[in-house]
Parts: sequence; structure tokens; C-alpha cells
Amino acid sequence: MLELRPILSALWRNKIAALLIAVQLALTLAIVGNSSIIVGDRLDKIARPTGIAVEDIIAVTYYPAEAGTDIVSMARADLDMLRAMPGVIDAVHSNHIPLSGSGSASDFYREPNQQIDDEVANVYHTGPEFLQTLGLKLVEGRNFTPADMETWNPNDRYHPKVTIVTKQFADIMFPEGNALGKFIYGGGDNPIEIIGIVERHLGAWTSWAKAGSVAFYPSFPKFTFGRYLIRTEPGKRDQVFKAIEERLAQLEPNRVIDMQTLSERLNKSYARENLMVKVLSAVIGMLTFIIALGIVGLTFFWINQRRKQIGVRRALGATRTNISRYFLVENCLIAGSGIAIGMAAAQIGNHFMVANYSQPALPLSVMLVCALMLLCVSLVAALVPALRAANISPATATRSV
Amino acid sequence: MIGYYFSLAMRSLRGTPILSALMVAAIAVGVGASMTVLTLNYMMSQNALSHKDEVLFAVQLDSWDPNASYRGDSNLTRMPWELTYRDAQALLRSDTPSRQVAMHRWGATVTVDDSEMRPFIGQTRVTTRDFFALFDVDFLHGGTWEKNADSNPAQQVVITRKTNEKLFGGENSVGETINMDGHPFTVIGVIENWNPVPKVHDLNNGAFDDSEAFYIPFGLHRKLEIFSWGNTNSWKHEEDLEGFEGFLQSESVWIQYWVELHTDEQKQRFENFLTSYIQEQKAQGRFERPLKFGLTQPSEWLVVNEVLRDDNRVLGWLSLAFLLVCVVNAVALLLAKFLRKAPEAGVRRALGASRNAIFTQHLIESVCIGILGGLMGILLSMFGLSAVKSLAMGFADRIAQMDWLMMLSAVGLAVVASLLAGLYPAWRISRTSPSIYLKTQ
Repeated sequence: MLELRPILSALWRNKIAALLIAVQLALTLAIVGNSSIIVGDRLDKIARPTGIAVEDIIAVTYYPAEAGTDIVSMARADLDMLRAMPGVIDAVHSNHIPLSGSGSASDFYREPNQQIDDEVANVYHTGPEFLQTLGLKLVEGRNFTPADMETWNPNDRYHPKVTIVTKQFADIMFPEGNALGKFIYGGGDNPIEIIGIVERHLGAWTSWAKAGSVAFYPSFPKFTFGRYLIRTEPGKRDQVFKAIEERLAQLEPNRVIDMQTLSERLNKSYARENLMVKVLSAVIGMLTFIIALGIVGLTFFWINQRRKQIGVRRALGATRTNISRYFLVENCLIAGSGIAIGMAAAQIGNHFMVANYSQPALPLSVMLVCALMLLCVSLVAALVPALRAANISPATATRSV
Repeated sequence: MIGYYFSLAMRSLRGTPILSALMVAAIAVGVGASMTVLTLNYMMSQNALSHKDEVLFAVQLDSWDPNASYRGDSNLTRMPWELTYRDAQALLRSDTPSRQVAMHRWGATVTVDDSEMRPFIGQTRVTTRDFFALFDVDFLHGGTWEKNADSNPAQQVVITRKTNEKLFGGENSVGETINMDGHPFTVIGVIENWNPVPKVHDLNNGAFDDSEAFYIPFGLHRKLEIFSWGNTNSWKHEEDLEGFEGFLQSESVWIQYWVELHTDEQKQRFENFLTSYIQEQKAQGRFERPLKFGLTQPSEWLVVNEVLRDDNRVLGWLSLAFLLVCVVNAVALLLAKFLRKAPEAGVRRALGASRNAIFTQHLIESVCIGILGGLMGILLSMFGLSAVKSLAMGFADRIAQMDWLMMLSAVGLAVVASLLAGLYPAWRISRTSPSIYLKTQ
């Protein structure tokens, strides 16, 4: 029915050409399989929820040009002005910009004066408005109040009394899940009470192994420069952005203002992942296209070579379907063996990448999906020439005999 | 003869335009993709200090926590990248190295009196006076500060040519004053623009960032209470240390340190110095880990700092595999093309052409395809690199560009690829026997 015998013997006569197609498919599967697992891994990473209203937030860094500027009253005036601006939901000071790749972290312990078994968390110094400004969800406990706020000089030791932490960090410190009201320590004997738990905040470093472990303090450190986060009404960010620039400069011209949207910072933080996704997707796309072209070209060539045989078969009673099917089955055989070799090659390649370059492992399911898609591509590529072959008239073939 | 083969090749390419275009495109895409990635990897692997690779060493001291690893993993032997301020000061007292540099990144608002210019952030390096000589940075005007300024406050600044153009219109600005965070600084030197890619001397904050525009002496920390704008890492809870002085005496690491050692004997003496220094500190209860320090050459420093990341290497291998697929594809297409012209080769053979001649002729035809593919590949990889540049959002601005060497390599790669691709098809056609084709004529 499938004429396997004649197909195999014809293939044997053309073994180099068949081998070339099979090798191409094998290599392609190895590349596509390993690329798609990396693409998937990076896309998952980019898609992680940040817990933050990224789209509506503007980050401002300001650097007073005058030595000895009273940065606390400067911030108070700026924030009052910012909060009163139309289109602004809320604004808050923050020592670092979330998701920006720049921040600070501290070690925490469950007991006073402990020196081992620390847990690390990303730390922010901010104010009560941070919940509303960042759009964080408080799942337990209370927000900071103005009474919790402290200002401190970077040269003095700051002893926080209370903190709000992310659920992730609360669960790391207290796996039993009763973190609220518990005390944590920063290495000394100063107890820091957990007064609130927010659902999620990815923190400063998107690639950090412990991203999502974050603690917030109600404080204002008096560095030589400072930062604000400003949440705007949805869709009004870009409009407010321009207005803020002017208003801040009006309020105090003798300073440097650096403004960015939080989505811009986040995109920058994910630039390497994004680059990987785009480059590898391009590789997958181009590769599939190239091997499809190769298969079309070679199948046409074969059919041309065998015009006479096809004509003879048609003259001897083979239907058009028979002829098309012959070439499709032939292509299936070549592609199938190529893909079988390719699966082995993909696993070997993946093994190498996992061992040397800390890339994700290639699961069987992903490989099978890639293999199936590749098989479809090769069949579709063979379809056009195969249908054309069926149009070869018996007469043309017998003419020159 | 070669010229004749070239003209035959061009005629043959024109004879089968679609098949030829496919082959050129296959080679071009393969070369374009792999040269895009290889150019990035090549640029990321550059070593701007290669001419002093034998004599420069980055210094590491293992002053870290005996109970925890530097990076928060399980590796307790990894040393911190940077030094504490007090260790840097102690090392500076050694007179063994020919030159030595303690430094870190900083930034300040910059203003010029009686100028219309808006204040801006000046990316600054706080460093000792040997910086310019150690890294071979040339002065256009003036020079570096006195040795004294490395330990005592002197509000002097060295600026780059570019900054000098921005602030003073390119005039010799030695003696002029600028304000940094509101403090007056006297310009004492203007250096040539110096911007190594990767930023080998300080890989802590972005290996492909620009180098600093302002350089100020190391003796200013106490006076201006300078905190690093780079990485500051600490592990010890030191409740008894107070104020800025407490920070300077703490176990926080934030200073980068380089030395220049010309002979093995000098290196040996410096190693002895470090050993006895650490032993001395151990006696005082510091350096609780086993005695360890690192002296690393620039080329190795780039490797241990993982400037070329795993992802870049993966892309490198994948792009070469991609090129291989394109070559195999070209073999198949060339085979098809050559075999279609087999009757022509049969006639040539019958008229006296040797097998070698047929082989050479067809190989030259594939080289023609390779050259065309290579040229198109350069265009494609330029396009690829500009795409990478925009996707990278800044971090690849200075690495996503081809130099002449990479362009030549692109054509070379294409020619080699097409030669490999043409080898079997050309051999195959040179073996065809003329008689079968003559029979049907």
C-alpha cells in the first residue's frame, strides 16, 4: 500500500541527498529544541508578577548641587507638590528604585546577636504612602503610620523598630506562617517587629536567586541625594511625566533631576533575557524557513530527475494520489529518521549546556512538540512539489523513450 | 584559466537565478547570524590592558565572613572582589609595587561658576595618583596630583578631553575651578578620552559602562564623607563603630586595588608583604578565614568576573550550529544545481577537460556563491547588531559594532563555508562519466 520497498530502493540510490536532508533536520531539531527551552525559561522569568503597578509609576532621582542642603525639607516640599498635582495618585520617597537592578540588602536573624544562619532580604527605606504608590497588597497587619517615621544620617547607625516584609520573606523567616508580630534581628540585639506583610514585591534585582525577599523600613536616610516614586492615574503617566519635570525644576532649580518610568527600568533589567528571547526566536524562525526552502528545492530536483519514471508509472495506471503519496511518504521517511537522530543530538547538546552553561534541562515533552512541528514543516514543504509531480502527464514521459 | 572559470561561474549563476539566490541567501543568513553573535562575543572578550597583561594585577584579600560565603551560596572559599578601606590604606604603604592604585566609583553634581550650564551628574573615580600611569592614560594638559593628596584632602580634579570640551570649550583648563556637590575643585590635568570596553579596571557595575569623566584624589574621603557609588558589601555587625570614621574602619569592602609588578622577584616580595600583613591582622582577630589573597592579571580578571556570560557562549555555539545547517543546506542545493548541469560537464569532459578542471571550475562557482553570501552576510550582521543594540537598551552600545577584522572574518567564514559546501558536489560532478550524456545528445 505505501510502496515502502520501491521507496527505500530509490532512496538508496540517492542516499547522499537523502542524508543531507536528514542531517539538516537533525541539526535543526537539536538547535530548535535547545533554543525553545531557553526562550521558554526566559519568558517565564520576564512574566513573573512583580506585585507593583509598574505601568503607572515614575521614578525621580534628585541631586542637590549645593553642599549641606536640607534634603528632608526639600523632600517634604517636593512630595506635597507632587501629591497635589492632577493625575497623581500618590508619591513617596524611597532610597532605591524597585526593579532597577540597584538596591541594598541586609542579613536577618531570628535571634538577637546571632552570627550564623542568616537570611538575606532586599531593604527599602520609604514611607507610609509606599503601599498606595507601588500598588502593593497588604495581606496581614497594618501599614506604617507617620508616627513610625524616623530620619537618620548615613553616618549614624539606624535602628529600625518596625518593618513590613513580603510574604515570601515572612515565610522564609518563619516557615510556620505566623510571622506577624514576630521580631527579627539585624545581627545585633535590636528587635525589629514585623507589623505588616505584603503579598508580593519582586525587589531590586530581577536576576537575584532570592528576588522577592524584601523588607521595608519607615525611614528617611539623609544622603546627599534622594529618590521619589510617583504613581499616576492609569494612562496619564506620560502626560504627568513632562509636568513633573517642569514643576520640580521650578521648585528648586539648583539640582540635577533624573527621571525614568518604572516600565523603562524594568525593561532594562530584563534586557539580557529579552535579547536572548528575541535572538533565539529569530534563529528558530530563520532556521525553519531555511530547511523548508532546502526541502522544497531538493524535492523539486528529485522530481525533475524522475519525470520519466513518474510518467511511466502514470501510464501504467498509477493515480495522481499515488504519485503525490509516494513523495510524501518518501519525505516522511527521510524526515522521520533525521528527527530521530535530532532527538539524540538535542539531548546531547542540552546535556552539554546544562553542565557547562547553567541552562535549563530539555524535557521530553518540549522535544517531542518541537519534533512534531518540524515534521509538519517538512511535510508541508514537500507537499507543493509532490502535488506538482502528480501533474506530470504520462505522455511527456513516454515521448522520449 | 581561473578567470575563465569565474566567467563560467557567473554565467551559471545567472542561468539558475532562483536556485543561486537560495544558496546565496542560505550562506548569507548563516554568516549573518553567526557573525552577529561572534562579533558580540569578540567585543566582549577584548582586553584593553593586554599590553600590560604581564605586569598588572588585581588584588583580592580574603577578609570575608568565616561562616558565610561572599555571594550567599555554599562556596566558602570565594574572596570578595573588593578591599576594605583600612586594608587599602595599609597596602598603599608598601613601596614594593612600581605603581599601585586604590580606587572606587563615585558621582557628584557638577557646576561651573558664572556658567549658563545646568548642573549635571559627573561620573567620578576616587583614586590614587598612580591611576593614569598604571593604566597608561595620557595627559593633554597638566598632570596628576602630588603623592600627598592620596592621604590628605586636596580638592583637585583631573577631567577627560570630552569633559573639558563640554565645560571649557576644549581650552587648556588647568587652574580653572569646578564645583562638585558644591565644593570647589581645581582642575590640575586633562586626560585623553579613555574608555576601555569591557571596563576591565572596574567590572563591578556593568562591564560595558562608560569610564568616569572626573578623577579626584583618594585623600578626600574623610573631608567629604564619600561613600562609594559602586558596590559596598559588608558582613560584620559592628555596633561599636560610629560615624563616617566607623565606616572607614569597618569590614565593608568597596575599594578596587591594582598593582604593577615588573619582575618575579618583585611579585614574590609583594606576596610576602601580603602574607605578613594578613598574619599580622590575624593576630588582631581579623581575617578569620584561612590565609588567602589573589593577584590576578587583567586577562584572567575578565574571565573570573564572567564578562562573557554563559548566555553569550550558548549563543556562540548555537550560531555556529546554525551556520552548519546553512552549509549542509548549501551542499544539498549545490548538488542539485551541479547535477542538473551534468550534461554540460559531460561535453566539456568529452572535449578534453580533465576531472581536475571540472572539479576546480565547480569549486570556484561555489566560492563565488560564498563571496556573494559573505558580503550579504556582513549587511545582515550589521542589521543584526543594530537590532541587538536596541534590544539591549544601552548595555551593548559599545560592543555591537563590527571592525574591519570582523568584516574580513565574515567574508572568510563565508568562503570557507562555501568551499566546504562545494567540495562534495564538485567532486561528484567531476566523476560523472561523459559517455551517458553524449549518448542522449
